[in-house]
Amino acid sequence: MRRTLSQSILLYATIVGAAIVILFPIYWLVITALASTDELSSLPPTFWPEAPDWGVFAKVISERPILTWLWNSTLAAIGAVSLSMLVSVAAGYSLSRFKVRGGHSMGMFILTAKMLPATLMVIPLFALFRSFGLVGSLWSVILAQATFIIPFTTWMLKGYFDTIPRELEQAAMVDGCTPLSAMFKVVLPISTPGLAATGLYAFVLSWSEYAYARTFLISEQGNWTANLGIAGMRGEYTSAWNEISAASIFVALPIIIIYIFLERYLVGGLTAGAEK
Amino acid sequence: MHKQRMFDLARPSRQHWLGYLLLAPAVILVAVIIIYPLIISVDLSFQNVKLVKMGDARKPFTLINYQRLFTSPDFWMACWVTLKLVVAVTVGSLVVGLSTALLVNNKFKGRTLARLIMALPWAVPEVIAVVIFAWIFDSSFGLMSWVFIKLGITTEMVAWVSTPGAAFWAVAMTMIWKGFPFVSIMTLAGLQSIPSDFYAAAKVDGANVYQRFRWITLPSLMPVLGVTIVLVLLWVFRDFSIIKVLTNGGPLKSTTTLSIMTYDQAFGFFRFGYASAVGVITLIICVIASLFMLGRGPKSGL
Repeated sequence: MRRTLSQSILLYATIVGAAIVILFPIYWLVITALASTDELSSLPPTFWPEAPDWGVFAKVISERPILTWLWNSTLAAIGAVSLSMLVSVAAGYSLSRFKVRGGHSMGMFILTAKMLPATLMVIPLFALFRSFGLVGSLWSVILAQATFIIPFTTWMLKGYFDTIPRELEQAAMVDGCTPLSAMFKVVLPISTPGLAATGLYAFVLSWSEYAYARTFLISEQGNWTANLGIAGMRGEYTSAWNEISAASIFVALPIIIIYIFLERYLVGGLTAGAEK
Repeated sequence: MHKQRMFDLARPSRQHWLGYLLLAPAVILVAVIIIYPLIISVDLSFQNVKLVKMGDARKPFTLINYQRLFTSPDFWMACWVTLKLVVAVTVGSLVVGLSTALLVNNKFKGRTLARLIMALPWAVPEVIAVVIFAWIFDSSFGLMSWVFIKLGITTEMVAWVSTPGAAFWAVAMTMIWKGFPFVSIMTLAGLQSIPSDFYAAAKVDGANVYQRFRWITLPSLMPVLGVTIVLVLLWVFRDFSIIKVLTNGGPLKSTTTLSIMTYDQAFGFFRFGYASAVGVITLIICVIASLFMLGRGPKSGL
């Protein structure tokens, strides 16, 4: 399709306009972090700070336990992702390759499990964790997050394994592999891209989670995850918006970086997960 | 000599003990952290209990939670708020998501970058999105009020988060910004699966841009859009963090959805039985929506 010059200009103008509107909130977050307290408490609002205050990032790190929060989020994510991947790789492979009695209904159940409302699940989980003394520990968040991460990872991995031809395992078995060693020596090694994409997607899910963290960790400040810390700062009476914004940037940055470099894989996972 | 039995993965009957073994850990974990808790919550909804711990003696069976629920104006109010929010956010995300997808589906230089930018809000954690919009909607120095004054819509600063009607739209806008990239991503995937021959043939027949959209693009997108709409709807329906951190369900419960009501009853008032009843109702609605989707969705690979 050929475009005339005016059509091209119109197209680019619309795209740039849309991009500005969509990115504006992120721009506003950065500007707010860098603006001075005076600029933030005056109207009209500051669209470009007179003297960007880069020191705010160091200030937030030294005055707030941001690093602890980020570390806790990292630990929770590592735990939830490892646990989910461990069971999902096996389950996804089984659902893709074998006929298991009840396997189909199990797969369907797992698929619907990602529709479960966290606000309902959090009630019995709280009761359960309380009797095992897990409330306040990161383990509670790891286990609770696995309830919604496993459905995603299992189905993403099943979809990925489905794209790998069975002839590969058959050839390996002709060469003397058992079904189990065919899985470990042949299928899993060539599935590395799929495994990595799924793991990263799971990481994003865990990193962004708030409901379970808030419920189980609220009274245990030392174990607060990043989202919980940010929500806590927002709840304070004197809102220092530049500091909250600077802290928020630390929390959002890892995910945004993952997204920018691995958008293709994450988007692939998103659509695969949704189309089941 | 004992000959190892060949196991043929390509045969239609692929029963093998390994299949069971590999599925077992998932089944056990799902049973412990999903199915068992679900049973507990349904059971709790039929008991008149406050804060509970496992091992507490079971209270007698009662329907009081459901009776109280259906006669409570708060519950019907929460249903109404949920419905309004679901409609507003789904329609908003659909309009923005569909138009951005159609926009970046054009062939132009920098298309990859444009696609990356259009879906960037997807990567921003919900709590962070709330921080951004809470500041934009700030009642003293927020940008949104200033824009409204400049446009002559209002004469003074709007207390967005503490005015019922305005708080609802603040929540809806935050959710649309966070939710439209998903629609956009799904639509793009759908658009790419439409064979270009269709368009070529339509052009030969003299179809204009609108006709091509109406008779080729839209019908081909319908299956994907159906699934997407249900997923967005479920996301709004179940959302906790955006509303909780932005408005905490207020003011005057104007942003208290069924999810927020469930949570507040459980962890604000510690009425676990009553909260479970609200949650079970929420769950039933979610399950109906998912079944609808599973029945209608495109069958890819399954």
